[in-house]
Amino acid sequence: MISFYDAVERLETGEMLSEHEFDLRVGRLARKYAKEYGIKMEPDTVIISDNSLADAAYQASLRLFVELGVYCINTGRVAKFTEDEVKEAVAAAPRKLEFGEGKDLVYMTPREVEDKTTPCVNMSMVGTPVPSSLFVSALQTYAQEPLCDTISAGSLLELDGRTVRSGCPIEVEAAIFNVKATREAAKRAGRPGLGSHNIPQGSAEKTAAIIAAMHPEFGVRKNDGALVAALGEMKVDYERLNKLAFLEAAGYHHGGLYGPLMGGYAGGPAETALILLSHFFLGRILLHAEWSHCFPLNIRETCNSTPEMLWLVGLSSQALTRNTKLLYTMNCFVASGPCTEMITQELAAHSIAATVSGGHLNPAAPARNKYPERCSGMEGRIHAEVGHAVARSGINRTEANVIVKKLLQKYASSISDAPVGKKITECYNMKTLTPSKEYLDLHTKIKGFLTDLGLSF
Amino acid sequence: MTSFQELFDAVIKGDDTAAAAITKKLLDDGIEPSKIINEALAPAMAEMGKRFERLEVFLSDSLLAADAMKAAMKVMEPSMLLKKSSAPEQEVVVIGTIEGDVHDIGKNIVATMLEASGFEVHDLGRDVPVATFITKAQEFRADIIAVSALMTTTMYNMPRLIKDLRDMGLKDKFKVVFGGAPVLPEWATEMGADGYAKDFTQAVAVFKELKR
Repeated sequence: MISFYDAVERLETGEMLSEHEFDLRVGRLARKYAKEYGIKMEPDTVIISDNSLADAAYQASLRLFVELGVYCINTGRVAKFTEDEVKEAVAAAPRKLEFGEGKDLVYMTPREVEDKTTPCVNMSMVGTPVPSSLFVSALQTYAQEPLCDTISAGSLLELDGRTVRSGCPIEVEAAIFNVKATREAAKRAGRPGLGSHNIPQGSAEKTAAIIAAMHPEFGVRKNDGALVAALGEMKVDYERLNKLAFLEAAGYHHGGLYGPLMGGYAGGPAETALILLSHFFLGRILLHAEWSHCFPLNIRETCNSTPEMLWLVGLSSQALTRNTKLLYTMNCFVASGPCTEMITQELAAHSIAATVSGGHLNPAAPARNKYPERCSGMEGRIHAEVGHAVARSGINRTEANVIVKKLLQKYASSISDAPVGKKITECYNMKTLTPSKEYLDLHTKIKGFLTDLGLSF
Repeated sequence: MTSFQELFDAVIKGDDTAAAAITKKLLDDGIEPSKIINEALAPAMAEMGKRFERLEVFLSDSLLAADAMKAAMKVMEPSMLLKKSSAPEQEVVVIGTIEGDVHDIGKNIVATMLEASGFEVHDLGRDVPVATFITKAQEFRADIIAVSALMTTTMYNMPRLIKDLRDMGLKDKFKVVFGGAPVLPEWATEMGADGYAKDFTQAVAVFKELKR
């Protein structure tokens, strides 16, 4: 497999190109390969059952990646890689990852399409801003969830009254706080061995802060992970590759992080699916991703619970699952906020699409990931329980498609005006860290609805 | 005689070669640049903006259309210099993603939409230091400084721009607009921004409002 530094060398010697021209090339090539391989969304199908379409998407994305390459914003050059190099990198990916220790030790292994094996659930506050006074408690609401396999924190708004800003010394302190808070939340939840898939990063963007926080005395463990992002679309930069160089040398788990925008440079759902898949090749070659974490988003709605985004999630998951043993999680972004009926429906639809298609789960970013304190473990619970129910019930993709369409009938027309929901302090008892009756009732209601449609909880 | 409709269609299709050729013919026929802009280029970009809002077209299509419009504008440059009066008065915007933040797709869309709507746009790129926003705004005699962020942690670098402008006695010289996924309108106001755009669909209207 091509070494990391050989790959970086190509970023410094490849074709020089303006970024604008590369952006246009992304759209042109995505369109070309989507057309050539007949990748398109059919109106009645949200969750595809057509294996040949999934395989065609995989082949199309492989050719797309080989022709397009990866743009480096520091050098203004395009690195190209051969099909054999891609295949080698994909084949060399780990087939099993462990997180945590003791009774909280979990393994992530590849799943199959329509697999009865339950998905691994990486629960996360994603980037939801949370003040330091609530930080540990909010994180504990995730850690205490029985189906939570790993956790990661949100974004720290302030520390000791000081605003956390990227690139300032306070960012280093915030990243360290983030690690300590993650361990403390797990300990308070009675799960001290619980691992983190992205331990320092919720509050830190700069590499210096990440490296500082990964010092073992702050509580990080060798089998904790950190995610390294590709830039949209199909780009890398040295700030993030520097992070990778450290994580790899120090022996921490490192995953790839990709969030292509549907409606953006790639184009529509089919083209964006191909670009998402191409990011996995970028991830294996340039980020040495042991697993990948995806959050494709609708550019206007900034969520992935719309019909075409669920189609994209299903198609790309099936393409990966059927053609590789790559490990990956699908990160759920929903339009509505906590403690609304709509969020229970959005979470369920995304979880069904990802799980039946072979993915692992990463709940969740409520209220378009925008509103402070609007996140809680209950979103993780709903997403995880639905995913486990899908696997245990053994439903197939056709059945999943029927259920997801029924869910979409309930919420799709409200996506643009989705309610922002309640803050964690408004939908949890913050002393006992238990959800409010209102939220528990909504949880019961969605499970009842899905039970009637064939899922067993 | 070549019609405005042909130029409109060329821009919609993102055909820069055709857009340039049609524009040249229109100029040769004695049409004023301002009329070409008002009758074909501006309506075409406005139409692309509407289609993009509905996601009937995508960013890649909008970029191609913007390139076609720029190709047409380039052809008209000499005529516009000769007849300065025919060049519409442009509001000057410097735009960039704030220090620490490398995510620039949203900012790029807004820059494209502004340019298409008649603003003179100077795109400073991503990860732009606060000091650079200020020096470039002065250099280009900007009317508006537009700042974007995608991350909460980088968003908090945005108020520094306002503070530095105030400390330098420059705040009244520029309007400042905040935007980006994590930015909320009440926060932008509280931090001292003059405008806030929820997303690219809102941005042009907000900038036009500030222009008044």
